[in-house]
Amino acid sequence: MSFLGLIVKNPFRNKTRTALAVVGIAIGIATIVALGIITDGLKSSTEETLKAGGADFTVVETNVSDMFLSEIDTSYVDKIKEVNGVDDAVGILMSIQPVENNPYFVIIGIDPAKLALSEIKITSGTEFSSADAKEVMIGKVASQKLNKTVGDTITLGKEDYKIVGIFETGDLQQDGGTYMSLKNVQTIEEKEGKVTMIYVKIKKDANVEEITKTIEDKYSKDLTTIASLEDLQNVDQGLNTIDTASWAISLLAIVIGGIGVINTMIMSVYERTREIGVLKAVGWKDRRILSMILGESIVLTLSAGIVGIIMGLVAIQVLLVLGMSGFIQPVYSMDVFLRGILVALIVGLIGGFYPAYRASRLPPTEALRYE
Amino acid sequence: MNNENIVEIKNLRKGFDKGKITALNGIELNIKKGEFVSIIGPSGSGKSTLLNMIGALDRPDEGSVRVAGYDLQGKGDLSQFRSREIGFIFQLHNLIPNLTVVENVEIPMFESDLSSKNMRKKALKLLDYMNLSDKASRKPTELSGGERQRVAIARSLANDPSIILADEPTGSLDSKNGEMILKLLKDLHDKENVTLIMVTHDLNVAALAERTIEVLDGKIKT
Repeated sequence: MSFLGLIVKNPFRNKTRTALAVVGIAIGIATIVALGIITDGLKSSTEETLKAGGADFTVVETNVSDMFLSEIDTSYVDKIKEVNGVDDAVGILMSIQPVENNPYFVIIGIDPAKLALSEIKITSGTEFSSADAKEVMIGKVASQKLNKTVGDTITLGKEDYKIVGIFETGDLQQDGGTYMSLKNVQTIEEKEGKVTMIYVKIKKDANVEEITKTIEDKYSKDLTTIASLEDLQNVDQGLNTIDTASWAISLLAIVIGGIGVINTMIMSVYERTREIGVLKAVGWKDRRILSMILGESIVLTLSAGIVGIIMGLVAIQVLLVLGMSGFIQPVYSMDVFLRGILVALIVGLIGGFYPAYRASRLPPTEALRYE
Repeated sequence: MNNENIVEIKNLRKGFDKGKITALNGIELNIKKGEFVSIIGPSGSGKSTLLNMIGALDRPDEGSVRVAGYDLQGKGDLSQFRSREIGFIFQLHNLIPNLTVVENVEIPMFESDLSSKNMRKKALKLLDYMNLSDKASRKPTELSGGERQRVAIARSLANDPSIILADEPTGSLDSKNGEMILKLLKDLHDKENVTLIMVTHDLNVAALAERTIEVLDGKIKT
């Protein structure tokens, strides 16, 4: 038997206690993993929105806490078009309107002449024809959820719009919503002459950084450019809040898990006092006893890490089945799983140290006398 | 130090409970290499404390204890001494319940340089010696009291100790199993030339030894 073999074997002596401890820690890890998967999905779908239509970067209003709250005067669209190196710029007005049972129906308003630029794939029907026509295109997901197709009508604001096409972008947020003319959205939102953001496409040999710098320098009071997710996080407090909450929950999981591990391991050491005396009598060094107990603690929490990851994945599937598929677009990255395992490892080390230290310091004669 | 003496104890004193209880009160004792000594005395006389001192499980308050060339009154880590020189046999076998018999015998070998493969080999050899080969993969709970004590003896021999310290090794066995264990210990002493120091309160058991030492009130009765 190897020393590692002994360490792996020991925690499963008291199966009930170990199972309970593992589940307790696993719930924390599951929360971290599930939250990570959702956050990553949110980030990736936000990124896709930013890069919609093959935009090289996006321009939003300076100092807004959330991208959706941005409001720029349409005159800026032409101003940006004139910046050296810019190929084209298109203003977008985004809006969220309740539609039937979906309170977060995303509406994207765009100049019909520029619709070709947005590179959306029309799976059936056509594009909306003009700025004034009461026509919309809805996403594939929205079409399924609302059970509506080409020829049907949809009520947005106070008016009915005819569905002329179904599109697909691959981005959940867009596919769950609609594209319509900029003018119509401005009317619904009562934001004449305003756009939420400007998608910018640059010339082939132009440099993104140079252009964004030029724009930010020139219009620093009103505009901010976003060329990457990092840029976005500097602007959008929403994503930062989710990140912070995710870390706070991780910390909480570490603290609660750590206390659980300390309790479990102290009980385990307490029950094995006499055995630890024997190990000392047969010549085990204090250090070896410390390593054994600490190792057992890590075996416990790593098992909880694996169970937690599985529980997290199951939780995501349950949310999807329960009809959250319109809101969350899970992204399974290695990072999230590594974070779960890392947290498990930290909990094992922190929670196991004190019981292990206590065990290693037990005087052998007292331990052997223990009944 | 006399080359023949494996244990040399001078003026050994040990108290417990901040000196309120005097367990050992000036012990003077030499034990020769290869000797079989039994230590007798009523309960509370200090005989087990004396055995723990020889095995470096406890440290003296006063006096000197030299065993197999190690000074045991210092502050250093004595785990190496216990691992290399001492084999303990307790009244209760103290086997680890979730490990198999052969794994229990391997436990002391973790502090040796043996690979896990060689540990297994040696443990099986020791079990064979104890006539327990067929029980190697059983759990201690599946064994009889006598068998468990034989496993404990095999464990005590794991690192080829020069001294075996047995504290009431037959104390929890019936007479038939007790006799078998004593015969095994005596054989071990006769054939392997290990020094055997055994604490007992049974005079018949003590009589098996070459020399009997009686401890009374923390002193050796002469």
